[in-house]
Amino acid sequence: MFRTTLTGLLAHRLRLVLTSLAIVLGVGFIAGTFVLTDTIDAGFSQSFAADADKVDVVVTPKDGAEPDGNLPESALAAVKAVQGVKDAQPMVSGDAPLIGKDGKVVGDYPTAGVSIPASRIKITSGRAPSAAAEAVLDRNTAKAQGFAPGATVTVLDQAGKRQEFHLVGIFDVGLDQDLAYRGAVAFTPGTARRVTGAKGFTEIDVISSGPSPERLRTAVAAAVGDAEAVTGREHADEVAKRNHVDTSYMRLGLLLFGAVALLVAALVIYNTFNILVAQRMREMALLRCIGATKRQVFGSIVLESAVVGLLSSVLGLLTGLGLGAGAVAVLRAVGTDIPTGTVSLSPQTIAVGMCTGVVVTMAAALLPARQATRVPPVAALRTQVEEHAFRTGVVRVVFAALFLLAGAGLTAVGVLQKPGQAALLAVMAGGVLVFFAVLILGPVIVRPLSGLAGWVPARLFGVPGRLAVSNSRRNPKRAATTTVALTVGVTLMTFMAVLTSTMRTTVSGQLDQQFPADYILSSQTGTIPRQVADTLRASRDLAAVTEFRGKKAKVNGREFEVGTVTQSAIGTAIEPEASSGTMDGFGGSEVAVADFVAQDLGVKVGDTVTVASGGRKTPLKVVAVLKADVSLLPPFTMAEQAFEQHFGTVGDARILVDASDGVAPERARKVVDDATAAYPAVKVGSTTEIRGQFDEAIDSILMIVTGLLALAIVISLLGIANTLSLSVHERTRESALLRALGLTRTQLRGMLSVEALVLGLVGAIVGVVLGVAYGWAATATLTENVSFRLPIEQILIFIAASGLAGVLAAVLPARRAARASVVGALADS
Amino acid sequence: MTTTTQVRAAVVARGLTKVYGEGDAAVHALRGIDVGFAAEAFTAIMGPSGSGKSTLMHCLAGLDTVTDGQVIIGDVEITGLNDKQLTLLRRERVGFIFQAFNLLPTLTAEQNILLPLEIAGRQADQALFDRVIETVGLRDRLRHKPGELSGGQQQRVAVARALISKPQVIFADEPTGNLDSRSGAEVLAFLRRSVRELGQTIVMVTHDPVAASYADRVVFLRDGLLVSEVERPTPQTVLDTLMALEA
Ligand SMILES: Nc1ncnc2c1ncn2[C@@H]1O[C@H](COP(=O)(O)OP(=O)(O)OP(=O)(O)O)[C@@H](O)[C@H]1O
Ligand SMILES: [Mg+2]
Repeated sequence: MFRTTLTGLLAHRLRLVLTSLAIVLGVGFIAGTFVLTDTIDAGFSQSFAADADKVDVVVTPKDGAEPDGNLPESALAAVKAVQGVKDAQPMVSGDAPLIGKDGKVVGDYPTAGVSIPASRIKITSGRAPSAAAEAVLDRNTAKAQGFAPGATVTVLDQAGKRQEFHLVGIFDVGLDQDLAYRGAVAFTPGTARRVTGAKGFTEIDVISSGPSPERLRTAVAAAVGDAEAVTGREHADEVAKRNHVDTSYMRLGLLLFGAVALLVAALVIYNTFNILVAQRMREMALLRCIGATKRQVFGSIVLESAVVGLLSSVLGLLTGLGLGAGAVAVLRAVGTDIPTGTVSLSPQTIAVGMCTGVVVTMAAALLPARQATRVPPVAALRTQVEEHAFRTGVVRVVFAALFLLAGAGLTAVGVLQKPGQAALLAVMAGGVLVFFAVLILGPVIVRPLSGLAGWVPARLFGVPGRLAVSNSRRNPKRAATTTVALTVGVTLMTFMAVLTSTMRTTVSGQLDQQFPADYILSSQTGTIPRQVADTLRASRDLAAVTEFRGKKAKVNGREFEVGTVTQSAIGTAIEPEASSGTMDGFGGSEVAVADFVAQDLGVKVGDTVTVASGGRKTPLKVVAVLKADVSLLPPFTMAEQAFEQHFGTVGDARILVDASDGVAPERARKVVDDATAAYPAVKVGSTTEIRGQFDEAIDSILMIVTGLLALAIVISLLGIANTLSLSVHERTRESALLRALGLTRTQLRGMLSVEALVLGLVGAIVGVVLGVAYGWAATATLTENVSFRLPIEQILIFIAASGLAGVLAAVLPARRAARASVVGALADS
Repeated sequence: MTTTTQVRAAVVARGLTKVYGEGDAAVHALRGIDVGFAAEAFTAIMGPSGSGKSTLMHCLAGLDTVTDGQVIIGDVEITGLNDKQLTLLRRERVGFIFQAFNLLPTLTAEQNILLPLEIAGRQADQALFDRVIETVGLRDRLRHKPGELSGGQQQRVAVARALISKPQVIFADEPTGNLDSRSGAEVLAFLRRSVRELGQTIVMVTHDPVAASYADRVVFLRDGLLVSEVERPTPQTVLDTLMALEA
């Protein structure tokens, strides 16, 4: 039996390759994920280990230490006094907004102002700062802003004053995510503290003059008292562990897509084995006739799947190694700061890859193998393999109905619930159940659907078209499994498209509400001087200038942000939405409260709250409770005058600027830029820019997800190609007959292309329906007030692309069918 | 049609040679055959197994390439046509009936019958269709799929399909090979009627002397050569000739 199976397999090498490819890709993706994350992990460990050796003991503050959660300055002297300490260097960290060549502060967040111990700082060119007037800049910021050693850089100090420094070098922030994101200027410790105003140290690195790190740590720990002291190696391990969490999230995310790909691969394998069993009916029956038991027949199929699984898993691992290496190469080429080690297949990767590959393949072949045992020995004697007509069984309908009801019920529960994680989970679970219902119902719905999808092709392509459509319907089970594989990918893609397009419209609507202005001014440090707003108001090109101010204060005993807004803007430039009460005629000692705060404090319209700060108390009457998620206003909004009376003159936290109608954007922008030119910390953002950034972010998410899902689609196309080529093989005689009757080669090829087109379209239609339905359901669970939007163009593209992809998948099988000789096909029985 | 007038030939083969394979493995299936098949006549080809009957038919019908020689259907020399031209020629001028697997399982009997016309993009001649259906006696089976028809009925559908496009010649390779004698007789009678009444030209390969006796003329092959022929055959004369050949 074993030999028979193997000879059979070898005799059909092409079939073997097509079947394997699905698993190879799935396993390859999973192995590739492991290779990539392992490489990154190794890279992190290597660089941490390198860092760890340079420092013997690291002192860090305990959680919640004072002042500012830093180590007190006295700690440094205490450490230095410990016996066996050769050197102790402090680390200082604060804000030092760097001013770019355009005269404005750089980036969205203030550049970090730090001092890094000489033992740790990685200088890539020039040298480390050694005098008070010297500074070094991180590599990315230096490159982006065009600074090189020798230049003069300007930063704003804690008081907002310009301070100039001589740039003596460029450094690499290494693995510090925060510094990498914000950019950093490094000074000597003294300068760093003077500029940033930081009190104390974030870390002290100790170098031993002889004692072992462990002994030194004990001594240092005793000396600093209320602080954490660990050896350099322990510290490195800790940081590495934190990073490992990052890579494990990435791994999990990628594996999710790998799982989808494997699911699709399983469907493809299942279908292939099903068709093979059907085609080898006579062979099986013959085996049974000459004495093979049911068990042996079953075993031969399972064995075949095991061999296929094993082979493809090995190839998959190699593919994974290639994919991982490719991804690593791309990471290096685009110059990310992610460290990478050497690329290799770990034993764990090999084990996981082999297991998933073999298990998925064998599991997918179990049902077809059981089917094979049902072939009666007499089947060998029948001359013609009959078309097995598909009849909708009661069991099938009952099961489908159960899944459908349960799925729809869960979905409804999720949609009707208050938005949140639980609701989303309910919808997702419902989605999985409904998908199973579709899987079960597939053979039933595929007939009418292919009639629908084939309506146009059948009319457009004459006889070949009509034959193709009827061929696509003739084996509903086969067609259903083939198309469902494609449905999986299309569903997820449509789902993402609906989700992102709805998010886009919703957020865009919210942006309109939140930023009812053309420009928004904010300050990276402190507040915006009041003169800015005054200058802006003086311009005729601007229609509205709305100032927002705020201060921390105690309200009914708890600390909140209390603010105010330009009085004249209420009801014109901004229109706060009240869930109760109103801001009409707002003034005097009235206050508007954000809904979540009102709920927290249990206050309602008509109540009185007391604002207390700096020894002053102001009682205020609540006149409105505002919907917080659509409002720009702080938790408590006072009238401008009352705010001024209580807090005195406060700078603006934000200024919204609206250009007058008919003023060119460039002109309005120039007015705003001119008014803020003297204040480097004041940043001007435009709503179009913000929207653009948001759009970009959404687009890139969609692109990444679509890219990752493409694998599942490719595998399902292999499935279509496989099904078609097996069908072509099965219908050799029919094709020959058609050719004898005068169908040209081109028409025969066209016929198979149309059949594939119909299969592709059916898969896409089901996928789009499911994707839209669940995209809608999921958005309903995200937030209230979503503005649902159907990305019609994208969906049409998906459908068209699926059809086209199907046609592409048919190219090879169709060529093979067309090339077969008529006489040869008629001759063999 | 009398014997005195020169009969117009629908299909002519001159020096037809067919060699399968090369060198030592070469099989000379046809070794130079000169034969003509009269128009509006029913001709049978007979011979022992492996004598080259099917090969001859495939070459005559343009389904297979020839090694040497000429085949002329009507006024067209088909040896030398490319695949596309051959396909179009088959569409227009040739009909087929095979031993088995004659019909597309997904189409109804009626759709199968009309298939050649559809492929050629031609309209069915309603009168002809009715007449063909009437003679084949399939009126009440038209909406059935091949799987729901008996073997004899399936062959009759195949015959009707071959007739409907009024081809210059119909080639049939053992059309009754899979049928019992009664169904076989029905199909053969029908073939003969279509020659008499519709003026069809039919070339049929067969093993069965009784089947051959339905033809107007029988030609005999042996080892790739035309060795003998019988006009207006009876089962007995055919059997005698066969016996003589095999002796
Ligand atoms: N494709 C082929 N390759 C090689 N030899 C072939 C091929 N087809 C037929 N032959 C050989 O050519 C010869 C004639 O075969 P053909 O099929 O024409 O015989 P036949 O008279 O139809 O026989 P039967 O009555 O058994 O159908 C035989 O010797 C056969 O083995
Ligand atoms: Mg033969």
